[in-house]
Amino acid sequence: MEIGFHGHEFDKAERNTQTLIEKTINWFRSKSIFVVAYGTGCGAIEMPPTFTSRYDAERGGVVGVATPRQADVIIVSGYLAYKTLRRVIRTYEQMQSPKYVIGLGSCAINGGMYWDSYNTIKKLDDYIPVDMLVNGCMPRPEALLEGFAKLQERIRNGEQGGWEKYEKNLEFYKKNQKKVLGENIDPSYEADWYMLKQGATL
Amino acid sequence: MSDILTKLQGLSMEVTQKNERLYKLMVDAHDIMSTLLKLLNEYDYITLDSINCRDDLEEGYFTITYCLLKKTRDHVLMVQTSINRENASLPTLHKIWPQAEILERELHEFFGIDFPGHPTLIDFALEGWNQLPPLRRDFDTLEFVNSLDPFRGQRDDNLDVKVEMKKRREEKKAQKLKEAQEAAKNEEVPSHES
Ligand code: SF4
Repeated sequence: MEIGFHGHEFDKAERNTQTLIEKTINWFRSKSIFVVAYGTGCGAIEMPPTFTSRYDAERGGVVGVATPRQADVIIVSGYLAYKTLRRVIRTYEQMQSPKYVIGLGSCAINGGMYWDSYNTIKKLDDYIPVDMLVNGCMPRPEALLEGFAKLQERIRNGEQGGWEKYEKNLEFYKKNQKKVLGENIDPSYEADWYMLKQGATL
Repeated sequence: MSDILTKLQGLSMEVTQKNERLYKLMVDAHDIMSTLLKLLNEYDYITLDSINCRDDLEEGYFTITYCLLKKTRDHVLMVQTSINRENASLPTLHKIWPQAEILERELHEFFGIDFPGHPTLIDFALEGWNQLPPLRRDFDTLEFVNSLDPFRGQRDDNLDVKVEMKKRREEKKAQKLKEAQEAAKNEEVPSHES
């Protein structure tokens, strides 16, 4: 069982076994990538220039959308607090397959300069399957665009995406998630929050 | 001696000037409430800017600093007090300054200081934290971090980055050299024919 962000080596055989129709579909898919606009760390500041007129990711077929249900890609832009991790997992699970994760910046790779913080995770790919890691602190929009180009190449080649790994190894991911977030990773705490509010104590 | 200092002398407490805009007042822990009220009502320190905490582990107490401002905003008055680290507890100020509610909630979460009568001493930045409060100095952050989330080991392909980069650079160099040689050759060929 191969877990982690090896995706690149994961299924090279598939490249040659694409039928013409699959090839066409994959080509179209690679040219329409929707990114959920949710910045988690300071690297998110590089996303607005990437998607607006300065670098214009849209010419490569990459557009931002407002909600996870319409998105194909989530960018984890930097350090991830445990609290944010919970939201990111929820966001990721709401997205529809095929879906991809891009980890942006050294914080997403190994914790970066927050590696010894009591409240941030170090290895993003233990909790959600990462398709592409872009390094740098913070990476320039060019680096992010190159990441997208590589991701598109992989989609065109019909390589296996992270979401398939997530489904296959759900137990592994859930175990890791529970380790840092506790048993209760369903969002029931939201209900508690609203109840507290009704009690006028907030 | 500045006007401000002279006026504050009336409190009959130890006041010092730290720099031209910063004054410090040392108070006993059980006088803190009365002093702050007096400063608010009689000396017009109407704004509570922040509440800070320093962990003096060796001496066994927390040093709490309240930063107060006047309407004129021309200087800051630090009201400082020490409380015991064990069962640390302070009076809550949320009825006087509403912003104190969130500041105290933060102190409760990160240092474990209790505020009797505070309405919302619940999770602030952390969720379901069940260890020692993380900013206390006796909390071993490194151990906690390593137990929860081990560091990523070497690269997954077991390659040394330095060696690889060097190799890549040399390959590029060789490639360039080769291209240059070929270009030179191509140039030579037509000249021979002519
Ligand atoms: S990698 Fe650098 S820029 Fe990105 S989140 Fe971490 S500290 Fe911020």
